[in-house]
Amino acid sequence: MELHGTQVVKYVLFVCVLLALLSTSAVCGKRLHEKIYESFFGGSCFRRLNGTHQTGCSSAESGSVGALHYVDDNNQLEFLLNSPPAPPYAAILKSDFFTRPNMMRLKNEGGRNITAVIVLNAFNNYTGDTVSFSHELKCPNQFSGILKPNSVETSTCSAMRPEDTWNPWGSGLLHEDFPFPIIIIPDNETVVRLIECFKRFNSFDYENQHLRSLCAVEIKSFMSAAVSTEVCWRRSNYINNLAQTRYCDPLEGKNIYATLFPRKIVDVEEEDDKRAAQVDRNEKFIMVTTRMDTTGMFEGVYGVGAMDSLTGYTILVSVAHTLSRLLSDKKQLQNSNLNILFMIFNGESYDYIGSQRFVYDLENLYFPKPSTHTAPITFDNIEFILDLGTFDDITNIKLHTLSEFPQAKTLLTKLQKYGNTPKYDFNINFQSSVGYQMPPTSAQSFLRKNLSFPAAILNGPPKNRFYHSVYDDGANLKYNYTNSSLDYTKLMGQNDALKYFHSEDVQMKIRNVSAVIAMSLYEMLAGKEYIGEELPSPVLIDEILYCFIKSQNCPLFFAASKPNSFTKLPLIAPNRYISVNRDSQEATIWTYRIMGYLLSQKIPNASQENCTQLPKYWFAGYNKKGECGITTQNFSLALSPAFIIENYNWSSGEYSTWSESTWSSLSSRLFLRPSRTHEIITFTTGIVVFFISFCLIYIISTRSEVLFEDPGPNASTDALNPPTAC
Amino acid sequence: MNISKATGEQKLQLCRTYFRAGFALLPFLWSVNFFWFFKEAFGRNSYAEQKQIKQYVIYSGIGTFIWTVALTAWIIIFQTQRAQWGATADYMSFIIPLGKP
Repeated sequence: MELHGTQVVKYVLFVCVLLALLSTSAVCGKRLHEKIYESFFGGSCFRRLNGTHQTGCSSAESGSVGALHYVDDNNQLEFLLNSPPAPPYAAILKSDFFTRPNMMRLKNEGGRNITAVIVLNAFNNYTGDTVSFSHELKCPNQFSGILKPNSVETSTCSAMRPEDTWNPWGSGLLHEDFPFPIIIIPDNETVVRLIECFKRFNSFDYENQHLRSLCAVEIKSFMSAAVSTEVCWRRSNYINNLAQTRYCDPLEGKNIYATLFPRKIVDVEEEDDKRAAQVDRNEKFIMVTTRMDTTGMFEGVYGVGAMDSLTGYTILVSVAHTLSRLLSDKKQLQNSNLNILFMIFNGESYDYIGSQRFVYDLENLYFPKPSTHTAPITFDNIEFILDLGTFDDITNIKLHTLSEFPQAKTLLTKLQKYGNTPKYDFNINFQSSVGYQMPPTSAQSFLRKNLSFPAAILNGPPKNRFYHSVYDDGANLKYNYTNSSLDYTKLMGQNDALKYFHSEDVQMKIRNVSAVIAMSLYEMLAGKEYIGEELPSPVLIDEILYCFIKSQNCPLFFAASKPNSFTKLPLIAPNRYISVNRDSQEATIWTYRIMGYLLSQKIPNASQENCTQLPKYWFAGYNKKGECGITTQNFSLALSPAFIIENYNWSSGEYSTWSESTWSSLSSRLFLRPSRTHEIITFTTGIVVFFISFCLIYIISTRSEVLFEDPGPNASTDALNPPTAC
Repeated sequence: MNISKATGEQKLQLCRTYFRAGFALLPFLWSVNFFWFFKEAFGRNSYAEQKQIKQYVIYSGIGTFIWTVALTAWIIIFQTQRAQWGATADYMSFIIPLGKP
């Protein structure tokens, strides 16, 4: 058989394709990229912005690539910083080596040689007192709160005197801008994989690293926003923005509040000027506040904020629950116009977003929102504020005030009295601290507006070495779930409590503080000393901590929801970082529900049909059978006023301006990066082949008559045969 | 389009149309005109309309040159100064790059 040139080419091509197909399917069905890359999970540092700066990290747009290099001593760091042989590198740091001096050297001296940093979990058994891991500033919320005159810095903390700061272990890395991505590896298997890969390919014959393939990572965490919130917010809202790109979103969440007694239902006017007339001047509130949120540096690996905010949170919920049991009837009150407003602010880690917004709403008579059908509240309605800060050391607590005021004095004597009553054996030492040395908590937002505002903060001395980090977990708090299965909605006497808990357990310590605060507030409301046996339940505290430290699949969350609304909840703790509006807001939802449930007054024998209209709500309840309660909880927006004020001056520092950049993907993968020589050879070969093909085609086309036989004008080898007559 | 078979009158018509249309802020039309009719304008075989065509080609060439210089200058200035101009530059842009000042 005679074959034409074209047919030969076709035949060869066909065989080649067939062979190729057969060979790949015979080996395995993996895609090429799966053979080259191995994906792994790492919590990624991302970009946040405020009115004037950007902080955090971003990779290159197509991902940052670097050869792994394990840095476990200063020599390895020097190796990376002094013209290493095969740049760029990705430095692997153990978490105890992830310090400010090391990171600042990598940032400032690394230049283009450092393209990524990987942080490994090395604190599996952190017991040593020398270990610390906190990326928050030494003075959290340093540029907000009560400010020095004519300055943008707070007057309640000075970073110059680290011993007096509120977070002496803070490295401030959370507020630095890094030109490379940083990821943290939370799981130990990946840690082992990375180190093995490094040892197998990289950790020998360092001088000749550039001559061989190296184990490398590619990290993608490219951030859309840049410069500052002012810039990215302007760009996101810009009308000509054809692609409708969002560059950043403001940090946004919800504050949750509940009152001890239900408030009067009234129809509230929507118009601003009419609302003023509806304020009830006689209504008075004692506000008890704390914060809901915590934060961390790495997306997806935030940490539960056990010590930095969960203790205060638990105390508030416990106090609220106790008072709602002790004072279930308004007739017990000395002054029937007095009520307690429990307020849990969100976004306080980011320049007091929640409390700033609350103060702003009060000024505009927009709290509570008109849809709640309750009269607006003004500053004059607030008797005083008791703010719960951090309780790292639960036996020594200070009552901080800017200046002395009568309610604080009264409160302090009561706290001291109950704290040292021999009958209850709490042994908590309450001291007074008057002056500007105030902890960075929500009360500062009120004091900033009016320095003589009656606000007091309960706060323990700072002892938390893992403030705002992934290691601030149950172990940091020395918390172990007791799982006593008792009814946590009931109060508990001292003897019962000691049956199930040791007096040294964190549950008991939190209970003691809650008890003292609850009793003091009880005395202020009821006008008589508390002499009862019933105390806050450590079982409830145990359950709250379990839900927020270990797992959302906890009895309390089921009880606070409608019956049978879930079969199973996620087995991880709810995310307590404020995040942006589009995020799931788990902590807010659960706070809303448990505040509703624990403060509600049960209506005995009410049926589900008669319990559909708020404030009545049908809860699953402790025994999951369903119960009807009159609730008082609600929410208000925790979005900084900076985002709603027209033409806000972003550099003024008046309100929080934090926003989060958007990103399209966060991913990381491991692969073998060929040596530079190898890469150059591959590239040059490609170019050479490219030019050879040009020459070849030129030669073929000029000699086409010789190579391909001209079949003549009437031959039927045309691509399209003319149709025969039909 | 092959203009080799067109008459001199048609060529002139075409060249003139391209030149005039270029005033509607279409510098690319001028550059097309310039290169397309370059051979006609400066070629050896002369005909009655060649002089006029030559005129249009030269003007189109000048126009193209001015536009090129102006655009290049503007692009260089804008790209280097965009970040400093801040809001003003953002308002001039339809597509703002991601992750950059």
